[in-house]
Amino acid sequence: MKQVMTLAVAPLLLLVIGCAKAPTDKLAAAEQAVNEARTAGAADYMAEDFAKIEGMLANAKTEIAQQDDKVAVLRDYGKAEQLLVAAQTESTRVMGEVGKKKEEVKAAAIQAQRDAQEAVKTAQLLVAKAPVGKDRAALEAIKADVRGLSASLNEVSAALQAGDYKAAQSKAKAIQDKSQAVSEEIKSALAKTGGAKASKSAMAKKK
Amino acid sequence: MATTVRGAFSILAVAWWLVAGLSACVQNAPPELLQAVEVLDRQLVEVQGAEFAPEEYARFVDRWVAVKGRLLAEEDVIHWPWEADPLVTDLHRLQEDGWQAAMTAAQRKAAKRLEAQQRLGVMEQRLRVFNSLLDEIGGRVVLGQRPIETQVVVSQARSLLDQRLYARSLGALQEASRQLDEQSALLNEELGRYADAGRVEVWRRMMERTVEWSRAHRTAAIVVSKADRLLTLYRNGRRVVSYRVRLGFNGVLEKRYQGDGATPEGLYHVIKKRDRGQTQFYRALLLDYPNSEDRRRFRQARTAGAIPPEAFIGGQIEIHGKDDMLLSQTLGCVMLDNRQIDAVFDATAVGTPVTIVGATEVSNAVALALAGIERAGGAQDAPKADGQTVAQEAAVEGS
Repeated sequence: MKQVMTLAVAPLLLLVIGCAKAPTDKLAAAEQAVNEARTAGAADYMAEDFAKIEGMLANAKTEIAQQDDKVAVLRDYGKAEQLLVAAQTESTRVMGEVGKKKEEVKAAAIQAQRDAQEAVKTAQLLVAKAPVGKDRAALEAIKADVRGLSASLNEVSAALQAGDYKAAQSKAKAIQDKSQAVSEEIKSALAKTGGAKASKSAMAKKK
Repeated sequence: MATTVRGAFSILAVAWWLVAGLSACVQNAPPELLQAVEVLDRQLVEVQGAEFAPEEYARFVDRWVAVKGRLLAEEDVIHWPWEADPLVTDLHRLQEDGWQAAMTAAQRKAAKRLEAQQRLGVMEQRLRVFNSLLDEIGGRVVLGQRPIETQVVVSQARSLLDQRLYARSLGALQEASRQLDEQSALLNEELGRYADAGRVEVWRRMMERTVEWSRAHRTAAIVVSKADRLLTLYRNGRRVVSYRVRLGFNGVLEKRYQGDGATPEGLYHVIKKRDRGQTQFYRALLLDYPNSEDRRRFRQARTAGAIPPEAFIGGQIEIHGKDDMLLSQTLGCVMLDNRQIDAVFDATAVGTPVTIVGATEVSNAVALALAGIERAGGAQDAPKADGQTVAQEAAVEGS
C-alpha cells in the first residue's frame, strides 16, 4: 500500500516542483530600467532605440501572459526572460548614450547662450553710443529691441534650467542673430554720423 | 541473406533521407531577407518612425523583437520539409509591415515639414507686414520690446525647422502668432481712436473751426494731422501749403506727461516766435501747451493712476526746424525742414491758432495700418487653393 501511495504522489510532487515560475523579479528590473531610460530622455534623444526597448518589454509581457494561460507543467518563461534581460541591457546602454548625447546638446546650448550674451552685450554698448539723429523714434525702437533681446536671454536660461537644451540653443541662436543685426544697424548709423556728437543731443529740452 | 541485406539497405536509405530531410530543415532564415528587414529598420530610424508613425513603428518593432527571439529558439528553426518555414513567412510579413511603416512615416514627415514650412512662410510674411505697417505709423515705440521678442520666436521657429524639429517649430509659430495677436490688440487699444468715426468727426470739426476762424479773421492758421504727419498752413480760410512733418518719437500717442515722446492734440496758439539764435532748432513757434484742457486731462490721469505719480505735465511744445541733424530730435514737438519752417514762420504771428488733431479723415494712415494688421492676422490660417495665402494677399493690400 505504501508503495502504491509513493507511486501516486511522486508524479504530483514532480509536477509541483517542475512548474516554472513567472520571472516577476526580472520583469520589475526591466521595467525600472526602461523607466530610468525614459526619465533620462531616451524617448526624446534616441526615440527609435527606446521604441525597440519598449517593444521588447511589451513582447516579454505578452509572452508571460501566454505562458500563464498554459497548464502549469507546460509553462516555459525562458523566452520572456531572454527578452526582459535584453530590454534591461539595452536600457542601460541607451541610458549611457542618452547621457552623452544630452551632454553634447547641453554643451552646445551653453555655448550658444554665451555667444548670445556676448552679442547682446555688444549691442548694449553700441546703443549707448548711438547717434540721436533726426530719427529719435528709430533710436527708441532700437533701445527697446536691445531691452527685448536682453529679456529673451532669461528664456534661454529658463530652458537650460528645465533641461530643454534644444529650445535653449535655438532661442540663443535667434537672439545672437538679432543682436548682431541691431549692432550692425547702430554701427552703420555711427559710420554715417561719425558718432562723435551722439550725446550732444541730450541738451535738447523738448517735452 | 539477400533479404536481410536488402532490409538493412532500406533502413539505411530511410535513415539517410530522414537525416538529410531534417538537416535541410535546420537552416537559418535567409540572410538576404534578414538583411532587408535590418535595412528597413535603419530606414525607419532615418525617417523618425517613432515620431511620425508611432503605431506602425511600434507594431513593426514588436514583431521584429519577436522574430529575433524566435531566431534564437531552436524549435522555431526546425520544421518539416513539407511545411512552409513560419519564420521566413513572418520575416516576409515583417518586411511588408516595415515597408508600410516607413512609407507612412516618410509621408507624414514630409507633410509635417511642408506644414511647418508653409506656416513659417506665412508667419514671416505676417511679421514683415506687421513691422512695415508699424514703422509706417510710428508704432514700434508703442509696443516697446514686444516686436523684437516675436522676431526672436519666429527666428527660433526657423532654426527648429532646419533641425527637422517640425512639431517644435510649429509650436514656436503658434506662440509667435499669439504674441502678434496680443500686440495687435494693444495697438487697437492705444490707437483705435484713429479708426473711431466719432472721434475723427470731433477732430474734423476742430479743424473746420480753425479754418473758419482763419476765414473770419482774415489771418493765418495751422492744422497738424498726426496720422498723416501733415502740417497745413491756411490763410483767409484757404489752404496755402502742406508739409510733411516729424512728430515726437511716440508722436502718434496722446500726450500724457513730460518725456513720453507723444505730441499733444488740441487747440493751441503761437505764444512766442523764436528766430535764429533764440532756439537750437533754427526757428521755432512756441505753443501754449499745456492749456486748460491739457491740465484737466493730466489731473484726471494722475488721479486714475494712469501716469507715474512723479510725472510732470511738461511744456515747451514747438513747431520748429532743424539746425543740426544731430540736435534735431523732438520729444513731442512738430518738426519741419528749415526751408519749410521759414515759410510757416514768416506767415504766422503770435496768436496764430494751431490745431493739432489725430486725423481729419476716417481713412487715415493709422486706421488703414490697423486694418491691414488685423487683416493679415485674421488671414493667417486661411490658405488658398492657388497656394497664395490670404495673409500674403493682405500684405500686398497693406503695402
